[in-house]
Amino acid sequence: MPGIGPVSDRALKWLRATAEPRTATGIVAAVVLVTTITASLETLKNFLDLPPVVITYLIPVLIVAIRWGFLPALVATITGAGCAAFFFYKPTHTLYVEDPARRLGLLIFVVVATVASYLAVGMRRESEIVRKREKEIRDLYAFSRRLAAGHSTEDIFNAIQKHLSTVLGRKVALFEPRGPASRSEPIGERDVPCCVRDAVSAVITGKTDAATGMTVTDDHGDLWLVHAVSPKTPDLGVVAVDLGQQTPESEEEIRARIEAVLHDAASTIEQIGLAHAITEVRMRAESERFRDALIGSVSHELRTPLASILGAATVLCNAPAVAGEPRLAALASVVREESDRLNNEIQNLLDATRITGEALQPRLEWAEVADVVNAAVERGRSRLGTHAIEIDLPAEMPLVHVDAVLIEKALGQILANSAKYSPPDSTIRIRGWQEDGVLTLAVSDQGAGLSPEDSAHLGERFFRGRRHLQSTPGSGLGFWIANAFVAANGGAIEATSLGENKGTTVTIRLPVPANVEQLESIASE
Amino acid sequence: MSETAAPNVLVVDDEVQIRRFLRSGFELDGYSVSEAENGREAIRAATLRPTDLIILDLALPDLDGSQVLERIRSWSTVPVIILSVKSGEMEKVRLFELGADDYVTKPFGMAELLARSKVVLRRKARATTGDSVIRIQELKIDLAARNVFLDDERLTLTPKEYRLLQILAQYPGNVVTHQELLKEIWGLPHINDTHYLRIVVRKLRQKIESDPNHPRILLTELGVGYRLAPPNEPVEPPPH
Repeated sequence: MPGIGPVSDRALKWLRATAEPRTATGIVAAVVLVTTITASLETLKNFLDLPPVVITYLIPVLIVAIRWGFLPALVATITGAGCAAFFFYKPTHTLYVEDPARRLGLLIFVVVATVASYLAVGMRRESEIVRKREKEIRDLYAFSRRLAAGHSTEDIFNAIQKHLSTVLGRKVALFEPRGPASRSEPIGERDVPCCVRDAVSAVITGKTDAATGMTVTDDHGDLWLVHAVSPKTPDLGVVAVDLGQQTPESEEEIRARIEAVLHDAASTIEQIGLAHAITEVRMRAESERFRDALIGSVSHELRTPLASILGAATVLCNAPAVAGEPRLAALASVVREESDRLNNEIQNLLDATRITGEALQPRLEWAEVADVVNAAVERGRSRLGTHAIEIDLPAEMPLVHVDAVLIEKALGQILANSAKYSPPDSTIRIRGWQEDGVLTLAVSDQGAGLSPEDSAHLGERFFRGRRHLQSTPGSGLGFWIANAFVAANGGAIEATSLGENKGTTVTIRLPVPANVEQLESIASE
Repeated sequence: MSETAAPNVLVVDDEVQIRRFLRSGFELDGYSVSEAENGREAIRAATLRPTDLIILDLALPDLDGSQVLERIRSWSTVPVIILSVKSGEMEKVRLFELGADDYVTKPFGMAELLARSKVVLRRKARATTGDSVIRIQELKIDLAARNVFLDDERLTLTPKEYRLLQILAQYPGNVVTHQELLKEIWGLPHINDTHYLRIVVRKLRQKIESDPNHPRILLTELGVGYRLAPPNEPVEPPPH
């Protein structure tokens, strides 16, 4: 019976609508109002000769329509028309109306009342929407103010929770994504059943799709909706909303509303998150600049007294009175060596601030590779200790176009590292060769080598290998400085090792300009 | 500077601690030391007392060290060694061109300063005696006869190679900047063509050095210039 289905469906819907508390109240009110009007008219009839009274019933119809909706208004219309026919139109006390004009009047009343109540309900709905929208805007404004005032993620999560519970008018618990939900305290509603917490955990860990969420029924038969704030990621938190007792239809509706609110909140948070990240980066850059300026000035201030200490120590070392007394001489040389070391560390800090301060402008000139290597070995002599340095350069190396001082310093850092991390008296080998327009300098030692972890972090500023943290002093700047200095000259640096305690080879690669041979031949003329 | 009297060194630095250790260091090495703590005092002291060597700090409270150097150079050729916490190559080049004899970066060891002092003093002594033969290890340069010998064997040098050696030999042990050398040998237009200089140095080293990759006579001051190794000790006893 195809025709019956939709009709009975609609009837069911009407019936269910009637069962709604608001409509039921409206119907009762309609009956009461119509009865009151009828009673008043009945009383008045004894004193006055009344003209057609049916128009009076528009009053309860409109009141009921505005206050309780269309269905009660329809009840008021019909009962009103019925009462008019029954009590006031001849023959009275029957629903039959004799006068055709009155019958027409009643019909017009029913039509007018129906249309009027329909319009009243529509107006009422519209004003309701406007009011709701106004409230939503107010809520959103308050939400954004709370977000803007928030300094920590906790403030922001608090704001989200408050916003959701205000907008949804339900108990809302918000779980931050950190830690298991079964133990962490949610923001807002504290009394969250265990089964709901489990569902929250599932959403946070990604076991349940964050985009759809899930519903859980607790021990009291209340329905909870568990949903990530952002459909893209559970990182913005997960909410659990207590929906109470819901029919499937109303559940669908409230769920749609919750999703809409969450969508708004998520996009606001994403924007705020972005702004937050930007501020954070900016602040970090600011503090880095400040730190570098501080290091720069402190290092400069440290150098002046250090010059006196180192100078005085060297005078002491050579003074006949001290030189003739081995114990004193040893002490004097401790002062000298340690101030040398301090001086190197200060130089590293100054170099580091030059790099980060973007003050590194290579002064390019043509340079002889052997000169650079010799200068690095010579200048680093005090740091190289008892290591044997073996230099292996072919007789004819091309000129390179670099800032020779920067390359020398880079090489010096590499040599110092090799000396530091290889056994005393072992050999450090420097080799150079040219191949396919690239000049390579390789420094190999027989030292501690690199663990896979060391290799991964070697280029980082302040990185120090775990094995050496306790045993060997250092700042973790050396390789980083070397790397920056070589890179500033258009070169590349690389460290390779066969493994721990199998030595390290650091290579510096520098581009050889294509026109170098031509330049060299012109110059020899 | 007389041969018998101790050389007089004037130490100019506003830091009393630096002056104190410089005084001890120089006195232990046989010098007689006078001090000045600012630029004006330094200029006055240099005019009043016979001075053989000035150790001049760049950062002075009243005048900049380079101004002091310029003033002193306007009437005196007394050797000046600059002390500075700055180690920039541009700075060094500027000071060498203003007439500084040497440049030592703070902090430094006393031995290094004494060695450099000895070199500049010896150059001064040679200039006053007018000795035209300079011996550096196995190399002998006769500036008057325009001859160069290695282990008493006469070398054939190109004009540019000889000119380079000649300029450096006028100030043995002292740095001559790239720009100075380029200007003197190739002329002003080539003042930035460092590759000219590198190639001539390479050729010259092949003739005078036993291992051109590890030169011991013609030395590179990276980013600044070249210098010759200090001349061999003269036969007469050293100043102290």
